[in-house]
Amino acid sequence: MGQAIGIYGLIKKFNGLTAVNDVSLEIPEGEFFGLLGPNGAGKTTLISCLVGLARPTDGRVEIDGVDVSQNPLRTKPCIGFVPQEVNVEYFFPIDRILEFQGGYFGLPIRASRARAEALLRQFGLWERRDVQYFRLSGGMKRRLMIVRALMGEPRVLILDEPTAGVDVAQRRELWDLLRQLRAQGVTILLTTHYIDEAEALCDRVGIIDRGQIVELDAPRTLIHRYCSRRVVIDLAHPVAPEALRDIPGTWEVTQNGYRLLARPPAGDHRLGELTEALMRQLMCEPAQRICDLQIEGGDLEEVFVQVTGRGIDAAAHP
Amino acid sequence: MPRRIRRRILATLLRREIYRFARLLKQTVVPSLVTTLLFILVFGVSLGGHIREISGWSYIQYILPGLAALGVITNAYANTSTSLYAARFDRSIENWLTVPISPLQFVVALISGGVLRAVLVGVLTILIAVVVVDLPVQSPLLTFAWMVLMAVIFASLGIVSGLRAESWDSLATMTNFVLTPGIYLGGVFYSVGMLPEPWQTISYGNPIFYCIDGIRGTVLGTADLPLWHSGAVVVATAIGMFSLCWWLFQRGYRLVK
Repeated sequence: MGQAIGIYGLIKKFNGLTAVNDVSLEIPEGEFFGLLGPNGAGKTTLISCLVGLARPTDGRVEIDGVDVSQNPLRTKPCIGFVPQEVNVEYFFPIDRILEFQGGYFGLPIRASRARAEALLRQFGLWERRDVQYFRLSGGMKRRLMIVRALMGEPRVLILDEPTAGVDVAQRRELWDLLRQLRAQGVTILLTTHYIDEAEALCDRVGIIDRGQIVELDAPRTLIHRYCSRRVVIDLAHPVAPEALRDIPGTWEVTQNGYRLLARPPAGDHRLGELTEALMRQLMCEPAQRICDLQIEGGDLEEVFVQVTGRGIDAAAHP
Repeated sequence: MPRRIRRRILATLLRREIYRFARLLKQTVVPSLVTTLLFILVFGVSLGGHIREISGWSYIQYILPGLAALGVITNAYANTSTSLYAARFDRSIENWLTVPISPLQFVVALISGGVLRAVLVGVLTILIAVVVVDLPVQSPLLTFAWMVLMAVIFASLGIVSGLRAESWDSLATMTNFVLTPGIYLGGVFYSVGMLPEPWQTISYGNPIFYCIDGIRGTVLGTADLPLWHSGAVVVATAIGMFSLCWWLFQRGYRLVK
């Protein structure tokens, strides 16, 4: 499988400020990749270099193995781009915007209209096809931006903060749409500062901070690498510490024996064996009952804090 | 990229430009025609009898080719400058930069849109003049070609302004303080030959003079300079301005960070 996106030693400076600092990254075909970082980390600048809105100061950016700077007319037909801010013609009705967009990718008028209609129907915008974008709701605007990006039938879809400023229900709706696209084989590069978004959608995430990719892997792998998860069990009757001496890993009993906190042994990130052993031991007591069970820790937020030394919101406003 | 795809992309850009001004005809084409009719009313009907002929033509006949040039110049400039600045303003220009459109296609489409609107205004102005004041048109094809060349020059100037402008005010400043004085002092209402020195020589430094003098030559057969002389200036300026726009787009001037 080839690389849909290749970034090699990318540096982008603006007036002496280094926005992207020596980033190298390969995204294979069909992958859903997330670029996670706070505002100002360099995410938008990096993708601006991919889509032709910015020229690299140094380094190379490739789409399907073709250099973006050298052959933009070969790379741009492969890309659909959803920018962070809505950027459509203010006074044009949205069906006209989409018809023109198809034409920019070489579609004949009829084919462009047909594709626009199909996408507007699929994304629930058909009834609003003859209004200008500013008459749409926030969620509809975001969907319109995705529809426009799909008019050229892209193999690579690049989305810059696609769910910024939309409510929770609309975010979930967009996630479903993105999952459908990924299932159709589209390579997706998503930038976000919503950690749950990256975790829910992405095969791999790159954490970008101050213009550099500081960590890169599958969300689960990162969580296992950086996070210390623990099982927290609230009990109906206190447990005696000596009853737990055969449990693998480390544990502690708090709240006068009513709460048990246990971590797997060092180097083992799985909680299955530990939980099983705990259950077996606790159920030896006939009167014992479990009131509540939680698994704490172990999300990308914790990874981000571990990797950068700051929370993502703190990093956004240093 | 195959040629037929390139053609479709260019045709789409051009359709977009036509759609943009065609849906606002009352703001784009109609005002120039109303202005022409007002000039005919003022200088043809009301004051015409009190102003003596110039080079054997009634005053309204003498100024009408210049009024057509006025319409061509202002519409060509307005179309490209507003199209481009509006695209920067609503950021739709960023979409253009991410789709497979070449700098040459951008420039050809923008200029063609400006030329179409400007020549439409110019031709309608001349037609009104033919019908209302019996204006003879000596070389219609040459008049048409002249309008196209003028439109290319000022559509290109509109692109430069649209790229450089930081506000709508910047565009209006160019129109009010450069174009309009240039047109009015370029001989729309008089023959430059009637001016005393040094104003005559100064007028030769105004590129708009060559546009107006030339179009008058193609319509009336009367001009201050030989047609080849104005023609050389107009063709060279059109090529130069078009090339400048192409170069600016290739560089991504004020477009690509």
